[in-house]
Amino acid sequence: MAVEALFEIAEPGQSRVKEACKGRAVGIDLGTTNSLVAAVQAGQPVSLRDPATDEVIVPSVVHYAGGGLVIVGAEARDRLAPIHPRDTIASVKRFMGRGPGDAEATRRLTPYAFAPAAAGDPMVRFSVAGGTRAVTPIEVSAEILRVLRARAEEALGGELAGAVITVPAYFDDGQRQATRDAGRLAGLEVLRLINEPTAAALAYGLDKQAEGTFAVFDLGGGTFDVSILKLEGGVFEVKSTGGDSALGGDDFDRAIAGHILSVLGLPQDAGGDARLARRVLDAARAIKERLTDSARAEETVELPGGGSRTVALTREEMEALVGPVLDRCAAPVRRALKDAGLDAASLSGVILVGGATRMPLVRRFVEHLFGRTPLSDIDPDQVVALGAAVQADILAGEGTRDDVLLLDVVPLSLGLETMGGVVEKLVPRNSTIPCGATQTFTTYADKQTGFDVHVVQGEREMVAECRSLARFKLTGIPPMPAGMARLEVTFLVDADGLLRVTAREETTGKEAAIQVKPSYGLTDEEVERMLLDSFVHAEEDVKARLLTEQRVEAERIAAAARAAMADSPDLLSDVDRDGIGAALSDLDRLKVGSDHGAIRAAIERLDAASKDFAARRMNRALDSGLRGRGVAEVEAKVAETEPRSDLASRVSGEGHAGHPHSGHGHR
Amino acid sequence: MICWSCERAPGAGIACSHCGAILPPNAKADFFAVLGVEPRYDLDLADLEGRYRDLSRKLHPDRFAMADPRARRASLQRSVQLNEAWRTLKDPFRRAEYLLSLAGVSLTGEVPAPLLMETLELREELADARAAGDDRKVQAMAAAMRARVAAAMREVAAGLAAGDHSRVAAELVALRYYRRFMDEVAVHDDAQETTAGAKAAAAETRGP
Repeated sequence: MAVEALFEIAEPGQSRVKEACKGRAVGIDLGTTNSLVAAVQAGQPVSLRDPATDEVIVPSVVHYAGGGLVIVGAEARDRLAPIHPRDTIASVKRFMGRGPGDAEATRRLTPYAFAPAAAGDPMVRFSVAGGTRAVTPIEVSAEILRVLRARAEEALGGELAGAVITVPAYFDDGQRQATRDAGRLAGLEVLRLINEPTAAALAYGLDKQAEGTFAVFDLGGGTFDVSILKLEGGVFEVKSTGGDSALGGDDFDRAIAGHILSVLGLPQDAGGDARLARRVLDAARAIKERLTDSARAEETVELPGGGSRTVALTREEMEALVGPVLDRCAAPVRRALKDAGLDAASLSGVILVGGATRMPLVRRFVEHLFGRTPLSDIDPDQVVALGAAVQADILAGEGTRDDVLLLDVVPLSLGLETMGGVVEKLVPRNSTIPCGATQTFTTYADKQTGFDVHVVQGEREMVAECRSLARFKLTGIPPMPAGMARLEVTFLVDADGLLRVTAREETTGKEAAIQVKPSYGLTDEEVERMLLDSFVHAEEDVKARLLTEQRVEAERIAAAARAAMADSPDLLSDVDRDGIGAALSDLDRLKVGSDHGAIRAAIERLDAASKDFAARRMNRALDSGLRGRGVAEVEAKVAETEPRSDLASRVSGEGHAGHPHSGHGHR
Repeated sequence: MICWSCERAPGAGIACSHCGAILPPNAKADFFAVLGVEPRYDLDLADLEGRYRDLSRKLHPDRFAMADPRARRASLQRSVQLNEAWRTLKDPFRRAEYLLSLAGVSLTGEVPAPLLMETLELREELADARAAGDDRKVQAMAAAMRARVAAAMREVAAGLAAGDHSRVAAELVALRYYRRFMDEVAVHDDAQETTAGAKAAAAETRGP
């Protein structure tokens, strides 16, 4: 019986939460485009805000400057990505658990450079920091998680008990392993990985006291999930799940970007120009977002040869471009309904999750597909994190919701390669977790002394068409005639949806068992080494951080000065023009160097040289219709195009979302 | 056996009768016992589902996330066993197969040659229809097979009611072949969906 063998490999680790941290458990939505962290406070899940900006969302964008400095969030997305597209990774989630070969498939239009794959290296590596560093998607994701962890520790007042991190329901085992490893690398105690649609259903079900069978349609930046759940008596039982882990708003952006490139008469791969690719993708995203509320939107794109062009799209034109991409959601929905043994009419409701479901086209599509108006009364950007916070609260033993339970499933069948490259499925898709299975195999050659065990995931019959998860070898079997040895392979899928495989040869009496090492995750040693590296680099990081801050500041202030000169040439005296011009060229020369003090001095010289000019612009602004309003408002208006002289307060006051590898976080 | 927590005789329940600690399951317990019902074919599925839900609420690893590692191990093992029990008993075919195995009737014996021949031919025909991309033929064959499955399941129910194990065994052996046929239909349907997806993807790269 399958269950007996399973008992021997079920070994949960040590109990993990320190008494002192109790009550500080968080839910994290680690999204393709945006991430956020939430916690249950006074019985209600709430998203935690950045105290400086009051923002809930951290854009999932990570910038790698030289010397190990890392900047995460809005600053990376808005200020650094346009200037340093190769060193600024957005949508890293699409690369999680992916090999170099997989990346080729998703590379159509990206600004990134990939480090050459070492032989046998299963992971994609981005070449960043001017090509001086190669980072895996796990490390990039860990940077985002560190920021969220810091925010939560500040908001909740101390070390966290642990975190529940959400993953797309359709993530395979490799992608899940990679996500859990990113959590460990960020110094988080990962209490559980839960599926995003399930988290959303939890938030909805508890908030609305809903009972019945629901479909969750979750279209995010990079992934699409559909789950069918039955809610009854506090138990959220997933009946089936389906999706596409490489389909989302990013693909809409790409379809629109392709159109923009055609209109501009540029090649579809942007001619390998990373900045152009970034600009066109950003323009596409801006147009798409504005067309949610407007019928027409336009964006100006700077051209590679200088100059710029404005591209306009109507909502109808945009919908014609993204419609074929959206149509790919239909098959997984039909399949999930079929697997649950239901038709759309028997559902109690359809819940919308994910930023892309704001688009009118997507709402019409869902309405058509399910024949009913979908529910979207909880913010589709926050609902996943809120549900994860509830689950974290329950797991950390703090919750009063003892009646609530999530029962989730395996999204894709798990199996083994057998003779001829055929897959033998051990755990069929949509099996409720935790679950397990045992199967016995035998040798096919005389005197065979080893077995190759190849673990795969997917629905296809042939190994070549499934995802390869792990390979291992069981050796040391005494020579026997073919068919005599008995290899017992046991799969165990735990409550995180993670697979452990063991194999044992039975007939000889001598046991040999092996634990699968995941191909796409990190070993404990690798996590240890990466954490240690981050301590070693801590001091360098501080210097590098100062340098990057000054460089960013230099870029900003130089651009502002040039804009002001172009805006009000009549206010410039010859003395101003020469002085500002000299200070600007000075700054341009120094900002590429590595002396942050020199850059800072050059910024101050530019500030001094433009002081009179700035004062005249201020006076004009006061004279021309702004008179009568508050001085602060006028100053704010002028400051938009004006170099400012309060350097110190600016640097500290803006509160950079990113922070360098710091000395804590190792437990 | 003694309780891992209080080291007294814990009784036969899910939890120790003295200290309330969750106990490892009996690996040999039958699935009917796991769900607390009489071993019979004719089950009230709504009642069974209710029992499954209530037991899941008590046993699931989420309930023991902060507990002693031994309690967590016991919870994981019990949950795996419970899920396997529910998966087996909610499906009429697996339930019947399981009842026969409890009765010591083996289904691994000789397969009647005519059955083997017929199902082999049917599967070849199915493979040909699939290779030819003849979805209509596949669906017609699937409908015919579903009717055979339904008839065989009625025989199984009648045989179990009459205690005629050899009749049930014969039907279950045939049903295994029918189910393998239906599995192949499911693979075909999946592939059809995927092809529809691939067509949409191709349309995307072509543009409007």
